[in-house]
Amino acid sequence: MAVREILLYPHPILKEICAPVTRFDAATDGLIQDLLDTMIAAGHSVGVAAPQIGIPWRVVVVDVSHSKLGRDANHGQLVLVNPDILEREGHCISREGCMSVPDYTGNVARAASVVVAFCDRSGERRVIRANGFEAIALQHEIDHLDGLLFLDRVSSLKTDLFRRKHR
Amino acid sequence: MSHFALTIIGHDRPGIVAKVAEILYRLGCNIADSSSTILGGQFAMILIISHPRFRDGAAFGQAFEDLEAEGLSVFLRQLRPGEETAPKLEGELCMISVYGSDKPGIVYPVVKALEERRINITDLNTKLIGTADQPIYVMVIEALLPPGQELTELDAALAQLKAALQVDISLRPITPVEL
Repeated sequence: MAVREILLYPHPILKEICAPVTRFDAATDGLIQDLLDTMIAAGHSVGVAAPQIGIPWRVVVVDVSHSKLGRDANHGQLVLVNPDILEREGHCISREGCMSVPDYTGNVARAASVVVAFCDRSGERRVIRANGFEAIALQHEIDHLDGLLFLDRVSSLKTDLFRRKHR
Repeated sequence: MSHFALTIIGHDRPGIVAKVAEILYRLGCNIADSSSTILGGQFAMILIISHPRFRDGAAFGQAFEDLEAEGLSVFLRQLRPGEETAPKLEGELCMISVYGSDKPGIVYPVVKALEERRINITDLNTKLIGTADQPIYVMVIEALLPPGQELTELDAALAQLKAALQVDISLRPITPVEL
């Protein structure tokens, strides 16, 4: 299919709540292929959400298997249609950036492990547990489907060591 | 458009930011990058500002005199054209934590080791914590390792400092992840 342009904030689609996919037809399959092509073309990218290419549907693709941080624990290339995070466990902070918000990064706290239910490309229902970087990438991409950017999740300024509650 | 760096420091209390922002708003200044924080009991603001017509500091007139009358120190620095944007720096971002019982001479040897390797410090915080009888000094540095330098080499140099200074030092890469 095609490599699509990544939309940049303040494009309004990035702040929309996306609609669930109801049919696994050619349009859905084409969108999935575009997401995969776009993710692969952006060599450094480990995930893309449909609204980032201008389609407000609940579809994301994630693949951390080629990145240093995700190499050791991943499910390979994932296509997630109507994903739903069922469980969150643990806590980790990482410095996130986003292709739709260039030149800015922020510390974001996420669950260290998530259980995600979704439909795969063929419409088959699946449930996986993801850990570490793959869990972070999934949470970041799924946030896009609810119009949330990492900027909405920034947990601390650059150094978070000193920003604790007073004893 | 001329750019200026404005710093304001004074005893912390609610309302400093609002006063400063009001003055800048009434002058017609734009606030670009800024950072403000509490250090000790002082509130410190650093702002890069610009104005479509002001050519130099004199154009601000007595705009900050009310702040100074309230005990805040105000400093305005005019930037040369182009100085308002940061050059894109290449390299690997890392965090260095240095901590231990407080004593003189912790900061300098550490930052000197970085300077000798042309490592650019992009952020640095220090804080005195612990108790009166057992003060602990904590320094956290974010720095950019130039291309071609290995983290392991810096780690070895820091390990030597750790022994010499009798403090704990740890180094780790922070890989900003673009998602």
